[in-house]
Amino acid sequence: MATGGHLPANLRRQARITEAAARAVGLDFFDVVFEMLDAADVNAVAAYGGFPVRYPSWRFGMDYERLQKGYDYGLSKIYELVINNDPTYAYLVRSNSLMEQKLVMAHVMGHADFFKHNVWFGPTQRSMVEQMGHHAARIRSFADAYGQDTVERFLDVALGLDGLIDPYLPLRESRRAESRRETIQSRAERARTDFEQHWGDGAESLRPGPRPSRSAPTTPSSGDLPTFDILGFLVEHSRLADWQVEILSIVRAEAYYFVPQRLTKIMNEGWASYWHSHLLTHGLLDASEIVDFADCHAGATAVAPGQLNPYKLGIELFRHAHARGDDLFQLRQVHNDVSFIDHVVDEQFAESNQLFVYQRNSRTGKNMVVDRDWVAIKEQLLRELSWGGSPRIQLIEADADGEGGLLLVHKHEGRDLKLDEAGAQLKTLAQVWGGPVHLLTLEEGVGRRISTDGQEISVIETARAQDVCGGQESAQAS
Amino acid sequence: MGGQVYRMERDRARFRDIVRGRLREDLRKYLSTSELLGRQGKKTISIPIPQVELPRFRYGDNSGEGVGQGPGDEGDQMDGDGAEGAGSAGEQPGQHILEVEVDLAELAEMLGRELALPNIQPRGSRQLHTEGGRYTGIRSQGPDSLRHFRRTFRRALKRTIASGEWDPKDPRVVPMRDDQRFRSRRTHPKPESSAVIFHMMDVSGSMGREQKDIVRIKAFWIDTWLRSQYKNIEVVYIVHDAVAKVVDQEAFFHLRESGGTKISSAYELCLKQIQEHYRPENWNIYPFHYSDGDNWSARDTARCVELLREEILPCANQFCYGQVKSAYGSGQFKKDLDHALGHDDQIVTTAIDSREGIPESIRAFLAEGR
Repeated sequence: MATGGHLPANLRRQARITEAAARAVGLDFFDVVFEMLDAADVNAVAAYGGFPVRYPSWRFGMDYERLQKGYDYGLSKIYELVINNDPTYAYLVRSNSLMEQKLVMAHVMGHADFFKHNVWFGPTQRSMVEQMGHHAARIRSFADAYGQDTVERFLDVALGLDGLIDPYLPLRESRRAESRRETIQSRAERARTDFEQHWGDGAESLRPGPRPSRSAPTTPSSGDLPTFDILGFLVEHSRLADWQVEILSIVRAEAYYFVPQRLTKIMNEGWASYWHSHLLTHGLLDASEIVDFADCHAGATAVAPGQLNPYKLGIELFRHAHARGDDLFQLRQVHNDVSFIDHVVDEQFAESNQLFVYQRNSRTGKNMVVDRDWVAIKEQLLRELSWGGSPRIQLIEADADGEGGLLLVHKHEGRDLKLDEAGAQLKTLAQVWGGPVHLLTLEEGVGRRISTDGQEISVIETARAQDVCGGQESAQAS
Repeated sequence: MGGQVYRMERDRARFRDIVRGRLREDLRKYLSTSELLGRQGKKTISIPIPQVELPRFRYGDNSGEGVGQGPGDEGDQMDGDGAEGAGSAGEQPGQHILEVEVDLAELAEMLGRELALPNIQPRGSRQLHTEGGRYTGIRSQGPDSLRHFRRTFRRALKRTIASGEWDPKDPRVVPMRDDQRFRSRRTHPKPESSAVIFHMMDVSGSMGREQKDIVRIKAFWIDTWLRSQYKNIEVVYIVHDAVAKVVDQEAFFHLRESGGTKISSAYELCLKQIQEHYRPENWNIYPFHYSDGDNWSARDTARCVELLREEILPCANQFCYGQVKSAYGSGQFKKDLDHALGHDDQIVTTAIDSREGIPESIRAFLAEGR
């Protein structure tokens, strides 16, 4: 990924020292490659999700505008950018001080260890840098063949569906495959092999794996349903042109690649912060840098009144677990944010971190502290984080109405959907599916069915929704 | 490195195209809202657009619950709490507003296209505008500080050689007074037209908030258009109730006053400004006046008509009167103007009932291309 500049000698040396210190405390990672970026280019790379080789899309341009504005007005500044890949890539910003570079390097080592060992990252594509390049090349070639506007329009549609995946699917699949095989050495490698078999490796997945011949879309069999991987279902069964199916698979592969980062945001940042703090204060810093470091670290873990900062919450969770005598390395391996918080948060943690549940007061429109009971706090945290913070939408029938219509169910866990936006999402879905789409959900306890043929949206009351939406299944994979 | 930035430039340009497309589509909406007011810089305007979000399944509002961190007892209101709520880990992204810079010239062009406005033919090139002095010339007189060493030396060398005094073994050149050359300032006279806009607004008690808003929106778009037509433009803001005064842009767009209404006071002030600062030989003059149509007395109205007929119209490109309907206004002033001066095509009067009438009224003012 020869994008950034090479490191000057002093930083190269610093990187070696940091890496040695990280390995000495037990962190383990793929090779870490640092690249140097000018401050002006960091926002561009960040807008591309860290991958300078993404497909062309105006959405990246929009993200860039937003980041650049934040930077220009001095509201935000990107310190670290790490990419889950083998080797692990990380960016340093040229204008940072040596102390800041040390901090970022140590922080990166924490992320790199987490990427390699956390079980949720196990099944991710580890040659994503090349993979993204392939995706971009494919989409460019479609644009050449079918026209820029046509391809851009379909890409927007596909991106609009990228939330309709099953965040637990890759791990489940790799577990299943794992139970069939015993001979492979490390879990990470095993998971990687599984993932490659499933998705194809870099070159192969240009024609994505799980799809048989496209001449006739396969008829949905009962084995495919029900599924949360709606995007995967569309790849298999929708009546789209080949290039469109391929764009769907590309969007799906990238969505699955990013999913673990959503599931482990608090842990991942907490782990990296825990170790940068430890490493820097145990020998990596000169005495003259301590105060600046404390200032910088305090900034990153600052809590705005009444808010949660994943860096802060994460580092405190690890510290609390450490004080309790837990094996931190094991925790970082087996948990995601939900199970981690479930495991670590107790009364003492809630109290010493001054956590509370707030609720919007409908009269004043302001948020009020409503509960400091640690059980309520934990429940609220878990509710917010489950399923990566999104509603769970499951596809249950593929020919529900005799007209080839899809039937979706919102697994209602106490929070209603934003109905207008749900309608718009269904419309997108109907356009891709090429037939009607229905969604069962609850609105303030009343069953609703939202239907669309891609043009009009209708909402009716239905008792059936109460039966299927209310089921409180476990959201956990394990 | 260059490649990647270049790619971003493309994606960014594409995004800006889309924003422009939206702006064009929604221009009618912007024409009747005060959203853009006060957002113009020197050459660009920053336009807030809701970030283009793809529709997704998201949680709605009935889940106004979350976990926060900090002091406070149960029942306390949270500190520093905005409408956005506390951003907790699983919180969905809110509706982000993104500000996009658009050239004022481009905005004017969109306006021109939307309302099918003709370009203005300035009344001849009035002002000889001299474009700054640049030291590109050479002359034989001047101060030492401007001496052109190379030219001077070259002339001296030429003379030395021509007179046979040149000795390659002792290459000494002594410039004489005649050899000296100096840089000189060259100016480029360039004819250019200038314009002045007078925005006169009635801020008396009968003009409500809505009426003032309508006036401000109109003034904003008229400015935008005329600015695109003249390179050198000045805007004078005058507010009046029973007396008139010149105010700055900020005050014009935010002032609330009350009192009686004596329109002639504004016209007199406008005329005074023209006579003192904006001679008609040098300036294209555009007075705009907005009120709810009430005036102090019929005698004052007669005075206004006289001022217009005798003094203002002869020197102005066009005089525009926009009457905004209000609960208290009689709407008499427009009738009086039409009656007294309706035959003069240098005067344009419009009546606006509500915000929806703004685009039409702007078109009426600017459609003649004067």
